[in-house]
Amino acid sequence: MIPEPERALELPSEVEEVFREFRTCEMSTLARDGTPITWPTLPFWYPDEGRFLITTSIGLPQKAYNVRRNRRVSLLFSDPTASGLTDPPRVLVQGDAEAPDEVVTTLDGFEDELGRVLRRQPAGGFYSSNLLTRYVFEWYYMRLMIHVRPRRILWWPGGDFGRQPTGAYRVG
Amino acid sequence: MWDEIVEHLADFESAVLTGLDAEGYPYSVRCRPRPDPATRVLRVPLPDYIPIESGPASLLCHRHDENLWRLKSFLVRGTLRREDGACSLQPRRFVPAAGIGGPLGMVRFVLGSRRTAKRYLRRRGLSRPHIPWREINELKAQVRAEREWQAGLRG
Repeated sequence: MIPEPERALELPSEVEEVFREFRTCEMSTLARDGTPITWPTLPFWYPDEGRFLITTSIGLPQKAYNVRRNRRVSLLFSDPTASGLTDPPRVLVQGDAEAPDEVVTTLDGFEDELGRVLRRQPAGGFYSSNLLTRYVFEWYYMRLMIHVRPRRILWWPGGDFGRQPTGAYRVG
Repeated sequence: MWDEIVEHLADFESAVLTGLDAEGYPYSVRCRPRPDPATRVLRVPLPDYIPIESGPASLLCHRHDENLWRLKSFLVRGTLRREDGACSLQPRRFVPAAGIGGPLGMVRFVLGSRRTAKRYLRRRGLSRPHIPWREINELKAQVRAEREWQAGLRG
């Protein structure tokens, strides 16, 4: 099991805002040879539970395979495009992840998240728009869940990586 | 590989460098890598305090527009060397992703993902799961109605 935070995370509001409003984060997992592999992904932050959820299709399962082999991951929030935030901090989360081997297609309990994706990425609705696109893209809707619990959170006001991060939060 | 990296890197203002810290966790920072044609490495100005160690590393370039569309991304896998305050990435592999390779690249990506998904299910003895298309499209219609209502308020 991945470690539970000892208490609710008490983060500055501007960091919480980044978790909520950034459209993507850069998620790194470790390949078999130890190389960190980084791809942009859509994160969902659950402040009350102190965890992130990332999902990936079984058509692109490498992230989940990597996590099952090595739980160490990171999420960098460094691209504010479309967030509506002015000069937000950039945030690095290092943590431990879990990726159960369960294929999820149901919307039960996931309506808010899918709604947010459709609001933020209107053209993504194309995948389910007719019989042909459903046939071609059905793999996209067969998802694996990746749960990430932060161990350390660092942030750089204004995104200035030239200076040491001014904020740091360590869990446990 | 080198030419592809140089060509596509020129399309981005910055990139995400990821290496490992002393505890073996990935550590990422934004940086502005510069190709060095003489040595075929990417020079990365990296502040000394960044705890990324020499060793396996990768460089990601990606972007999207205001509607999370017009995606473009690629990854360079390689080896990072930090020496005397300088830092360079020796590329080992170029991994193209969204928006690279044109329509043919897109077709390859979709067909490859379909095959991988089928294999994932087959290896676990799972049948093709039901996708709740009706519920998905109901949610889509609800989001579209919200958007039209908001546009009406603005207009």
